[in-house]
Amino acid sequence: MITFFNVSCTFGKEAGVKNINLSINEGEFVFVTGASGAGKSTLLRLIYMDLFPEKGKVVIRNFDSSKVRPGEIPYLRRKVGMIFQDFQLLDDRNVYENVALSLYVSHYKTREIRQRVYNVLNQVGLGHRVYYHPGELSGGEQQRVAIARALVKEPVVLLADEPTGNLDPRVSSDLMSQLTRINQNGTAVIVATHNYSLIPRVANARLIQVNEGEIVNQS
Amino acid sequence: MIVLWFLIKEGFRGLWRSNYAGAFSIIIIALSLILIGFGYVAARDTLVMVENIRSQFDITVFVQRDAGIDELENFARELGAIKEIDKIIYVSADSAAAQFRTEFGADIFSILDYNPLPPSFTVNLKPVARNLAGVEEVVARIKRQAVVDEIRYRKNFLQLLEKYQRLIFITVVLAFVILTLISIILASNSIKMTIFSRRNVISTMKLVGATNNFIRVPFLIEGALEGLAGALLAAIVIALSFYFLNNYLQGLTGFRAIVSYRFYGGLIVLGSLIGLIGSLRAIRRFLE
Repeated sequence: MITFFNVSCTFGKEAGVKNINLSINEGEFVFVTGASGAGKSTLLRLIYMDLFPEKGKVVIRNFDSSKVRPGEIPYLRRKVGMIFQDFQLLDDRNVYENVALSLYVSHYKTREIRQRVYNVLNQVGLGHRVYYHPGELSGGEQQRVAIARALVKEPVVLLADEPTGNLDPRVSSDLMSQLTRINQNGTAVIVATHNYSLIPRVANARLIQVNEGEIVNQS
Repeated sequence: MIVLWFLIKEGFRGLWRSNYAGAFSIIIIALSLILIGFGYVAARDTLVMVENIRSQFDITVFVQRDAGIDELENFARELGAIKEIDKIIYVSADSAAAQFRTEFGADIFSILDYNPLPPSFTVNLKPVARNLAGVEEVVARIKRQAVVDEIRYRKNFLQLLEKYQRLIFITVVLAFVILTLISIILASNSIKMTIFSRRNVISTMKLVGATNNFIRVPFLIEGALEGLAGALLAAIVIALSFYFLNNYLQGLTGFRAIVSYRFYGGLIVLGSLIGLIGSLRAIRRFLE
């Protein structure tokens, strides 16, 4: 589903990634680990085409980084869910509006949007917080809104960049349970983290270790 | 349809969310439109005044003193056949003497013992011919008549009028274009600030798969609404200023400003366009 062909991508003074060859299948759960600046986020940004390789190419289903036109990138992103350490929620919109935004951009009908948003919010345990604004929620709840926003469009892959970075251990554990459940429903999940304690919580997860932009170990 | 409704709603909500930055944009657009509005009325009234002066322009055709009635009637008919001529007034030698008495308070007969003033025709032209080229063409045609002795008109006055009218016209057009461009640049800079304060909305929309058009449309609607609000504010200020000027200061200035609903309509269209173009320029940077 996702294939890196000898990909190198450096930007500014940061290392980025070098000569990456990697293949991720549908329904896989993958941890990308490494120290800060090792290239974990660069790998994820290459997948949702926020960055483009200087050498090699990344292919996500039928989107090829060497051929894709700028106008096609939104259509790739509608198939890829993303969650971040800082949640990236819109503070001036309530939970419902934050989650529904993903569907409005894909031109869904209002009735279907309402149905899907309520379903996904119940799924992540936020059915009672629909009209709250992000500022009125705890860190864990905000991260669940971000998950709901990523999940509501039924992505083929969910990317999580340091998703537990701002969460306490109990909430982190809850988040990992959520991600495992999502993966069991068939969505591939790729988690970039330097928190190694998360790895044992997911059975059969694949581990990719990166260091200074290169894959040093896969298991 | 649902998406369009969503985008329109987003545009209105954007205006509400933009807070002080939005209010600043509205004020900038309003100030620019007030300048443009006052400038337009002043220039329009100056041009009307110049046109009024021009309408008073006439040509005096002196005819041979010994011309008979038939010759004068024929000549009057010839003048009437020139389509650029609007009005002809015949001034006989006696009428000229009476006019002299009225203007100078002295009887020409008591000074010279005879009337040296020749009979003449005062010729007024239609507006289309009240320019140097038109006047000279008519004069050349009149000159061909044998009964004509001399033709007088204020050529220098006409040249001066044309020169200044052209100057006023060019100044007005240039000022209008420059002020509109400045308004667009100022509006787009202040709208840029509004958009910059909400760049997280743009990056989040990009992340969830919004196309550039989907992101752009609400900001364009918001820009047009800011332009519209600025134009309404400008229209209120201009209307109140003219009301005050016409009702309380007319005695002092001798000036009466009259503007039609079309003027206010134009102001509103121009304001919306300034907001729209300003936001189009501003959003472009964030979508690159």
